[in-house]
Amino acid sequence: MSVQVAGRTLSTDPRVALRAIRLEVAGTPRPLKLWFALLTALCLVGAIGAVIALPPGWEVLGTTPTFEWGILITGYVFFAITTSGLCLASSLGTVFGIEMFIPLEKRHAILALLSLITAFGLIALDLHYPVRMVFGAILSPSPFSPMWWMGVFYGVYLVFLLVEVWSMFTGHWQTHRIACTLSSITAVLAPTTLGAVFGVLAARPYWHGAFTPPAMVTTAFLSGIALLGIVFALVHRFQLAGWERATTLAIPAIRLLLTITLVVTVLVVTWQMMFGLYGVVPGLADATKALLIGPLALGFWIFRVFLGLAVPLVLVLLPRTRTPAGLFAASCLAFVGLLADRMIFVSAGQIAPGTAVSGVVSSPWAVYTPSLVEISIVIGAFAFFALVYTLAERYLPMGEHEGHLAGAILGSSNPVATALVEASDAIPPAAPIPPAAPIPPAAPVPPAAPVLEPAGGAS
Amino acid sequence: MTETGLAGTSEQEMGPTTLSRRRVLQLGALALPAICGARLVSGVLAGSEADAVRAAQEEAPAETYDPSAHSWAFAVDTTTCIGCGRCVEACKLENHVPEAPEFNRTWVELHVVDQDGTVHVSAPDGGVHGFPTEETLPAAAAATVRDAYFVPRLCMQCENPPCTWVCPVSATYRTEDGVVLVDENRCIGCGYCMVACPYGARYMVPAGDTTPKGVSGVVDKCTFCYHRITRGQQPACAEVCPANARIFGDLNDAASPVSVALSEQRVRVMKPALGTKPHVYYTGLEGEVE
Repeated sequence: MSVQVAGRTLSTDPRVALRAIRLEVAGTPRPLKLWFALLTALCLVGAIGAVIALPPGWEVLGTTPTFEWGILITGYVFFAITTSGLCLASSLGTVFGIEMFIPLEKRHAILALLSLITAFGLIALDLHYPVRMVFGAILSPSPFSPMWWMGVFYGVYLVFLLVEVWSMFTGHWQTHRIACTLSSITAVLAPTTLGAVFGVLAARPYWHGAFTPPAMVTTAFLSGIALLGIVFALVHRFQLAGWERATTLAIPAIRLLLTITLVVTVLVVTWQMMFGLYGVVPGLADATKALLIGPLALGFWIFRVFLGLAVPLVLVLLPRTRTPAGLFAASCLAFVGLLADRMIFVSAGQIAPGTAVSGVVSSPWAVYTPSLVEISIVIGAFAFFALVYTLAERYLPMGEHEGHLAGAILGSSNPVATALVEASDAIPPAAPIPPAAPIPPAAPVPPAAPVLEPAGGAS
Repeated sequence: MTETGLAGTSEQEMGPTTLSRRRVLQLGALALPAICGARLVSGVLAGSEADAVRAAQEEAPAETYDPSAHSWAFAVDTTTCIGCGRCVEACKLENHVPEAPEFNRTWVELHVVDQDGTVHVSAPDGGVHGFPTEETLPAAAAATVRDAYFVPRLCMQCENPPCTWVCPVSATYRTEDGVVLVDENRCIGCGYCMVACPYGARYMVPAGDTTPKGVSGVVDKCTFCYHRITRGQQPACAEVCPANARIFGDLNDAASPVSVALSEQRVRVMKPALGTKPHVYYTGLEGEVE
């Protein structure tokens, strides 16, 4: 038996496969080996946490009746929003035909898919009866519930995303373009319904309001762009597949988008705070107080405002730091800021309890301390995300090619786009990379390796 | 003999596409997980059904009970409540509520209003052991007290309940006679109804504990003791209250205690601005109680 992967015929004989893995590991550069080992170890930590938290293990979660949604929900929101942002970023190239964004395509799609899978994994661990949810959502649907719609949109989005990735790697460009368009539409709908899950709750004034869904889409865009900034800076740094085009087109495009979304996010955060300060709604005023001078102030001012918004904005605006390294730093900080933002958002809605904290002498703030199990699951989720993406980067053909570009702008009469396709090989390479790069480019698997059989080999 | 016959029939019907042994094994290998999966799913569903039947038997209203003939409501008189906590204790015993103080279907708060109007709220152990002085109100200790009263809390059984609107699987619902219930065999444990409730009236049943029907990891809440009221009894908390501070009855019956209380006294509901239309009414509250 054999299978075709990326144009190669691989044996499914366990002994041959094992030998192939051994050879592959031996041929992997040492820094990359260490990176894989670290991520695998962290994945294991997360897996242990996940096994402990599986039903009926929910006593290991640190949530309480007054603080029901903890860091697993935070992680879910983070990844579910990031996947939408990645898809939205890519739609600029594929759906709207803006050429400079086209090189984002393959990487964004893989990242979006991984991000969505990670989000689903986290929510499944947070729910006490995930299997019952699947049956319940279908057999007893609740169209008045934003959470039900969120499930519908993210489910549909997963299907479109799978088709998008499949068509991208198999060269079905017409299908690809349709899948991209549909996934981009659901990528807007899904985070808005996620915003509505929080926004409809009149009991939680910090979350409540029509402002929440558009704010979610804005930050979705920022988190997607920030992740692309991190990935493309690394593509440039390590000269990964398609790095020339990434350097000349993707990095300036990401910097531009990052600048715009950072500015818009600053406005969003500013007005959120202003409304909280002006308002007389008890819960909203209390939550704003918690953010500005209360128990959430450290996370808000240090991570959300200073490191997550101010410093990245300076880095993308200053001429001296308008480099791939500068973009990398700005993106990393914006990404960390967004993670802090999700934690702050989920916490701020619950920190000012609507009733006395039953069971204890009332305190002005509800208290939540994530358990070690919860922390390990979230760490494992990030490690899983990074591990699978690194594997994809190493073993999948991630470079864009002419067919892909032509497919992306199919039907476009834009002469610049056509010229781009025709002259894609003529794009000048970026500045030479220092030879001391810690991780050399992924070496192709040697064609003479014993595991590789000629195409059409006997099973 | 039967086997032979069947095999013969099979071969004759299938003609040239006769299954080879390998193919049969392959199909078997595919069918096994499918059968196991189907068995698992049907087992889950059958389990749910069995649970539902059991639940129905346990909580089934009396045969003569007509939900459309009733509109249950609750009146809480804060001027007579003495904060003894017997109601909390009775509720925990009656409804299998976990002993830990953070899990309650009903609880009692002490509200102390000081001279400048600040309200200090405390609920040590949910009020189940009463209100020992040393555990109560450190924040208000130095204040000059203007007023103080106990506020028993429970699910407001809203006419427009936010919890039922948000449930993604329709597991929580309002009955015809005005009580909000949770279908434990449908609840997925997402906690959305808990964060949607403006009154903090719901809790997640912790691992190691179960609902009265033996389910863990789902949301539980006050049901006005639905299993009792549909048999003509009072909710456990109202029955044990020594001060008659918890008054339960049927709004459709003008002579019921709750109808009398509502017609004779000035009552208010909690958080009226949210439009939830609670069916729990309070007398004697000062200022806005949240």
